[in-house]
Amino acid sequence: MKENIRQIRRSRLSQAKMYNGYIMTDKRYLRMKLLRNSFLLGAILIVFAGSGCRSGGVSTFHVRQDMDFSFIKRVAVLPLDNLTNERFAGDIVRQMVISELLATGLVDVVVPGEVVAAVDKLGTRSISSLTADQIKSLGSTLKVQAFILGSVEKFGETRIGNTTAPEISITLMMADASSGSIIWSATRTTGGASFMARHFGARSDTMSESVLKVVREALNTLMKY
Amino acid sequence: MISKAKSTRDVLLSLVSTFVAFLLLTPLISGCTGAMKYYTRPEFSVSSLKRIAVLPLENYSTDGYAGEKIRKAVITEMLSRGVDVIEPGEITRALNELKVQSRSSLSVKELQGMQKMLGVDAVLTGSVESFGMSTGISATYPEVSIHLVLLDAGSGTILWSVWRTSGGANFWTRHFGAEGASLSETARKVVKGAIDTLF
Repeated sequence: MKENIRQIRRSRLSQAKMYNGYIMTDKRYLRMKLLRNSFLLGAILIVFAGSGCRSGGVSTFHVRQDMDFSFIKRVAVLPLDNLTNERFAGDIVRQMVISELLATGLVDVVVPGEVVAAVDKLGTRSISSLTADQIKSLGSTLKVQAFILGSVEKFGETRIGNTTAPEISITLMMADASSGSIIWSATRTTGGASFMARHFGARSDTMSESVLKVVREALNTLMKY
Repeated sequence: MISKAKSTRDVLLSLVSTFVAFLLLTPLISGCTGAMKYYTRPEFSVSSLKRIAVLPLENYSTDGYAGEKIRKAVITEMLSRGVDVIEPGEITRALNELKVQSRSSLSVKELQGMQKMLGVDAVLTGSVESFGMSTGISATYPEVSIHLVLLDAGSGTILWSVWRTSGGANFWTRHFGAEGASLSETARKVVKGAIDTLF
């Protein structure tokens, strides 16, 4: 019996070859190779499925194709409409838009106080419903080529399963100060924790980081032009 | 025989370690929030800054005193960099005399009035977007986000603008419950990080 086992082992060893420094039979080598490849494939799939850089948000934008954006050197960011229950959502997003616009270095932004003073002088009731004439008038007062206006539709934590994550939805528009018409608009929504954050405790974005991401992604659609 | 057994075990071990390394690395690399950007007017030099006024910051956080806390940290940080900062009481007096309605968003005329009254080169204003403890999926962490803007007192143009946030809990806090920085430490760090971009 022992002799039989020895013979079997000897015959197997005689079939064995060196693979990457390991002694294995062809069959075992192929099986190990398959196992290794499937492990790697699985890991890569998990990384892609759950990476923090997922394109989970929803974005739609419109740019007037006949418009030359290079003439816009100075813009004013109007107070955004706050359609959320968060009291300062509009102000927070507005500050972020100003900061990001300045950081691009492409345009100069009017001091927020100056915008408030000009709007007050105009005597308008609602900043969200400016007429083309009012936009033109504001444009000449503030010496800007365009206005950024818009709204914050969602700003808060949302619950998905047993986890909560920031959910933000904004709409930004650019109005031409000389004609009062809308030349760019973008809606960007983001929300929910990533797969890795939910299941493996990966780092998920804070509220502020989510706002930054949403604003940056919305403005990026404009910066291409 | 021993060699064969050892080789199989080695291969399996290397496979498992590769997979574990992937799982460990993924949380570290994920959460790709872009880098914090800031703006400095090209023709502006910080060396020309001798005396500034730090206005009360707009407070959008749930902490009623967050604006004042960050303002004090900003004043301390500016003073430590050799910039003369006007005493906050003097600023309040000037704002009252100028009959400024919104203390955080001054018009050019009001800025010029402040320049005359206080003899400042620039005015630092801004807002506190978040200041408090936030709850993540597996950890509680301090979250501080600020936006600072430096305005030229004469022309009212924006000389420097920065938005900065502390971010969420780090890897060790999330997975091993390690003690992270306190809210005050985080606030100091955020203010310092923001002011660093100016100097």
